[in-house]
Amino acid sequence: MSGSLLLQSVILGLLLGGLYALLAAGLTLYFGVMRVVMIAHSAFLILAAYLAWWFQRETGLDPLLSLVVTVPLFFVVGFVMQRLLLARLRPATLTMMSVLLTFAIALTIEGLLGYVFSGTQRRIQLDYSGSSLEVFGANIAVVKLIAFGLAAVALLGLWALMKLTRFGQALRATIQHPEAARLLGINTDRIAGFGFGLGLATAAIGGTALSLDSTIYPSLHWHWIGPLMAIIVIGGLGSIPGAAIAAMLLGVSQSLLQVPLGTTWAQTVFYIALFATLMVRPQGFFGGRLAQRF
Amino acid sequence: MPSASSTRTGFDTALLGIKGLALVAAGVLVLAFPQLAPDAFILSVGVVIASYAALAVSWNFVGGFTGYISLGHAAYSGLGGYGTALLILEAGWNPWLSLVGSAVAVGVLALPIGFASLRVRGASFVIVSIALVLILLLVSQSWSDVTGGSNGLRVPRPFGEDVLRPEQHERFFYLHVGLIVIALAVWWAIDRSRFGTGLKAIREDEDKAQALGVPTFAYKLTVFVISAFFTALAGGMYALWFGSLDPIFQFSILVGSYMVLMSLLGGIRSLLGPVVGAVIVGYSLEYFKSAYGDTQFHLVALGLLLALVVLFMPDGVLPALGSLVDRIRPDKATSIREMTAAELVEKNKEIDEARREPEEVSR
Repeated sequence: MSGSLLLQSVILGLLLGGLYALLAAGLTLYFGVMRVVMIAHSAFLILAAYLAWWFQRETGLDPLLSLVVTVPLFFVVGFVMQRLLLARLRPATLTMMSVLLTFAIALTIEGLLGYVFSGTQRRIQLDYSGSSLEVFGANIAVVKLIAFGLAAVALLGLWALMKLTRFGQALRATIQHPEAARLLGINTDRIAGFGFGLGLATAAIGGTALSLDSTIYPSLHWHWIGPLMAIIVIGGLGSIPGAAIAAMLLGVSQSLLQVPLGTTWAQTVFYIALFATLMVRPQGFFGGRLAQRF
Repeated sequence: MPSASSTRTGFDTALLGIKGLALVAAGVLVLAFPQLAPDAFILSVGVVIASYAALAVSWNFVGGFTGYISLGHAAYSGLGGYGTALLILEAGWNPWLSLVGSAVAVGVLALPIGFASLRVRGASFVIVSIALVLILLLVSQSWSDVTGGSNGLRVPRPFGEDVLRPEQHERFFYLHVGLIVIALAVWWAIDRSRFGTGLKAIREDEDKAQALGVPTFAYKLTVFVISAFFTALAGGMYALWFGSLDPIFQFSILVGSYMVLMSLLGGIRSLLGPVVGAVIVGYSLEYFKSAYGDTQFHLVALGLLLALVVLFMPDGVLPALGSLVDRIRPDKATSIREMTAAELVEKNKEIDEARREPEEVSR
């Protein structure tokens, strides 16, 4: 493997890892506020990508503009979904049943996408789709940089929201200790709903970023949910830094392995890492002992 | 559970009679189905539903006893199918020997998989089970020298060319029913054993079960292997009937979710729950597919059905029916207690006396 190819793989891996990190952060948020594993996360990701594609086809404007609509929309959908559907499940079996319920939502979205837009593969064509930057002999597509930038800004925004605002404080309190948070006068039910909305908003941003440089089709979400799930388990359920680090490392590994092995085999790195983690550290690398129980 | 002889009322006897009659009627109906089916297509739908039922019953060894919900049991049915096909094609084994051989191999393979995945609970376990199917899908698509890749693999028919399609359907229908009966018998035996009690303790509270001395990990692993074995048998049987394997349909999360949906809908805690669920879900799936044809709308229908079951009937149809019966039960209509305080005192006396008797004998 030549030096520039290696560099290119590492950069592409980091760019991909940024997107993984944003999406995994969303999954971690759901898990934090409600101990829910949200299988439908990647289905919403693909939904957002379809909306961006549809927006571009209908209006001819830049697909990035669709964010103005999809982010608030997904936030509201997430809030409503948490309040109306997930909050209804029995606490005793919440973890298991929420997996099944969100799985059902994922199937419904996939089916509706296939029904409305058909199973045809779709791709956004932009003037800057083909352009790329050359860095030390490595070719980096501009769209990938934009996608990464979008993910990075969103992650930073999420971090600032969680650390610097009063709402973020309430959200973190709800994640850490719901009962204590309630005693302090925090409306944890509503905060949990908002946490869900935020998580779904990351899917809206991620989906738009994804639509810029990949071909989309309704059943694509299965290719995303597996790696994302592996990332949050390896990082330790509930830990955003853990998820981000695991996302970056695995993104780079996948990208490096793609050169000798091809795309399909390279994807197995997520699952091999997942099984290895379970053998060595079932609770993940950054999760507490608690993570093992979920 | 109240002892049968002392507390059984006329209502209970009648109920038992009705249950027995329903069971016999259902059994007769199942056995007579190939004769009743108007054409080969309906017969083939019957085989598909029987195959679903076999898968759901096999899934329920893990799901029903331990409460570990695996969305990835398609991994074992797919491996069973591919194993059977490869043993026939590459090793030249007899089809039925291949079926059992591949199921045993899958059972052995389930040991390390179970060892890794049963170390985590709840959501992580579900994630791992999904990951397993996705891995196998990738491998079976890429490793085309062995699996035939996306082109699929043809499985030779176990019966000669002179056996026509309807005849094939009929034989495989009975074979599937036989497999279901064996799996149900094993489930029933475990349900009544000490092993089964330990497994159900894991389902209710794993930490407490462990504290009480139940070897939780060994129990979980054992039942996991049993479940994988039966799932592989069902998958291999389906492969022999269907005659061709495609990675997308063999290692599909959808198939795994069908098993969960069927068992949940029927009731994972009851013996016949998965079978009832398989009949309902299998029939609706075939109906959706024929009604909505090529469109993806059958996914929407399946998704909505699953969501409704999870939200409103998480215990399943059979337990829901049971509670309905309890509401019309004459003597228990008003009380939520299983027995009145007076009955309880009476029963405790009986138990005390029963305990005293053996002591006197030993003295």
